[in-house]
Amino acid sequence: MRRVAVAGAGMTRFAEHFDLGIKDLLPMAVAECLESVDKGAPREDIEAAWFGELSTTDGFPAGILADSCELLDIPITHVENACATGNDAVRNGVFGIASGAFDVVLVVGADKVRESSARTTFWEWAGMTRDSAWDFPLGLIAPANFALHVSRYLYESGATREHMAMVAVKNHHNAVTNPKAQLRFEITLEQALGAPLVAAPFGLFDCTPQSDGAAAVLLVAEEVVDRYTDRPVWVRGVGLGLDRVMHQQKQDMTTFPATVRAAKQAFGMAGLTPSDVDVAEVHDCFSGVELISYEDLGFAERFGAKRLVENGETSVGGRIPVNPSGGLKAKGHPPGATGVAQCVELFHQLRGEAENQVDGARVALAHNIGGPTAVSAITVLGADRG
Amino acid sequence: MPQIESIGSYLPPWAGRAGRIAGPDEDAITLAVAAGREALNGREVDRVVLVTRDHPLIEGGSAAVLLAGLGLSPGAEVVERNGGAAAALDAVTGAAPGTLVIGSDTGAGGEPAGAAAALVTDAPGGLELQAGVRMARSLPVRARGADGVTHDYDDPRLLRDRGLAETLRRVGEIAKPVALAGGTAAQARSACGDTAPELPTVGASASLFALAALAESGAGGTVLAADQASLSSAVLTGSGAAVVRRAERAARPAPASRRTDGPPIPISLPAYDRAFTPKLTLHAGRSADGTLTFPPRRGLTDGSEPELVALPRTGSVYTTTMINVPVPGMATPYALVIAELDDVGVRVLARVTGWEADRVAIGDRGRLVFRRVAVRSGIPDYGYAFLPDEPDEPGEPDEPGLSDVSGSGENEEQSA
Repeated sequence: MRRVAVAGAGMTRFAEHFDLGIKDLLPMAVAECLESVDKGAPREDIEAAWFGELSTTDGFPAGILADSCELLDIPITHVENACATGNDAVRNGVFGIASGAFDVVLVVGADKVRESSARTTFWEWAGMTRDSAWDFPLGLIAPANFALHVSRYLYESGATREHMAMVAVKNHHNAVTNPKAQLRFEITLEQALGAPLVAAPFGLFDCTPQSDGAAAVLLVAEEVVDRYTDRPVWVRGVGLGLDRVMHQQKQDMTTFPATVRAAKQAFGMAGLTPSDVDVAEVHDCFSGVELISYEDLGFAERFGAKRLVENGETSVGGRIPVNPSGGLKAKGHPPGATGVAQCVELFHQLRGEAENQVDGARVALAHNIGGPTAVSAITVLGADRG
Repeated sequence: MPQIESIGSYLPPWAGRAGRIAGPDEDAITLAVAAGREALNGREVDRVVLVTRDHPLIEGGSAAVLLAGLGLSPGAEVVERNGGAAAALDAVTGAAPGTLVIGSDTGAGGEPAGAAAALVTDAPGGLELQAGVRMARSLPVRARGADGVTHDYDDPRLLRDRGLAETLRRVGEIAKPVALAGGTAAQARSACGDTAPELPTVGASASLFALAALAESGAGGTVLAADQASLSSAVLTGSGAAVVRRAERAARPAPASRRTDGPPIPISLPAYDRAFTPKLTLHAGRSADGTLTFPPRRGLTDGSEPELVALPRTGSVYTTTMINVPVPGMATPYALVIAELDDVGVRVLARVTGWEADRVAIGDRGRLVFRRVAVRSGIPDYGYAFLPDEPDEPGEPDEPGLSDVSGSGENEEQSA
């Protein structure tokens, strides 16, 4: 397979963009992505695109991207893989180049969660991830979906709501300096612990907000990278893992096997190990999910995640900073865009130009876990070609 | 001569002003199933007569749901009878052997909720009864038509003076009245004396609660059943006995709950239809190698439909969450659990019922009971919910310590 580099990356602010439709957000993200390319990237160079979007608000996604971004002469494929959509779209774009089919590929992710009314959103989004007859009518809303895991995780691991609150406090802190983040304010441990309950054990500050937004990266083949930049970021590995869809059929709910499977693929392809990772964007849709993911990704031993937050190892300046962008928790979570936006953040981290720069970062990892906790996509990026 | 072999009853645990209140996941069918399973205790019948004024579906029917919940063959006959206490008593006295008669009251009109069921057989030794005097009269001080709207005539003295009292005057002397169903406690004492049993409901189930009380006390005499001004009666010969199993937990205050309106919850009827049998009868799929999966899944090697096997209904909480935010179409807060069923390695995702949502913890024991999971675009969607055991309840429901007369939990494990 050919080596693939990221030559450009851009995104809209994540927010409740009531004033911007999907056809506004897409050209904004794509424009910022192309402008970020050091030596410029004419739109005509793009040979194919992959578009990750979970829901659709204005018609069929591939056509909306082609139409709104004047990409009418290239093939565009819509990718949907629950909350792992973003990194799966990246993965598809990578294979498009690695296979030799294309030299320059655009990967875009977007979603507009706030296009539906708050009451409508519950059942609309539940319908995308639940068995219609069995689970859908029970009211297994998104926070409950993860809360069932985290309740059991806390019970077995000895981690507490305080450890989850430490994750929320850290990620809120990181978002303050990120102009693209949705929730740019600090919270205290006391605020996190005292917030109204959403789905036990998650309080309001343990939960991601509902977000709109778009993100894009430009992928190029090693053979042509010099035309676009002298400071490329390299895609070292990608992975996609799945798991049993229904919670009642998952054997051990203190872990996400989908993540373990995706990580094994991505690290294997990269020829790297978890200890090589300098900075990570981890799927913290709910604070406790970040804790479980430390272990699934190999950053901590089983039930050792609480030590990482207790010791500040995942804060910027720590051993393995996680979610310097603010994460889903505070940057926001428009599902299709989330994974692509993680790669946008890590693109800047590996070029040394991020807001919360991790000093000397050479290897970075982006991680999604989604749907009924049954799919994970991981991208490992590097400053070095490998 | 038909006789009552057993009587089962069920009361929701929630206390209201007038009596018990049904939970948000209970309707006439789930209440009937809870009482009916106590009466059946694993027995088969040819016919089920459900008497209620709160049929969830006037069109579309509840027969298949009722039979599935009761664990009966879909080949059994179901009569969905509209009526109150008098109609339920008539259903018992007129029942052919092999009939389960259920009275079910949801408390829709502000009246108490509850259900009771009588298993009528021709096995010797059962409680003998025969039809007594009847009188139909029309004095509709409460009226509800096809539009579902209740109209109350605002003169309480009219029913008192010209209602049941006038009917009793007209029918003349009644031999040894011992219980009155469908009236107030004062009316019961007036008609039957101070030993008249106090009944937890006033609708269709009240007659069967009266029979249960008399079966327990062994008193013979005439049971009166009133429905506004109409009267029916049954004479207990004083011969024979019926086993009574009550699933009646002590009442406690209903927890605060809110409902949030929203768009209708969608339903796919093909998906409903495919899931119906395993979902409503709690059956897992068994693969060729003996592995149980729930919900059932199709075989991998030959793509065959799985063999369905009944699951045990007791288990413990593997994990849980309480949903506290408003969810359109649902009463919140509510709790979900994944319950690990005893001895089979099968887990079930279920909502918690009959229990405060914030009182559920990992490791709690309980049982799966038949409930209405949701109402989806007008269609009641049934399945199983998790009912935690009372702290003093025996952990194993089939222990000999649990006597037939005081069955403290509904829906004991189904005989596979």
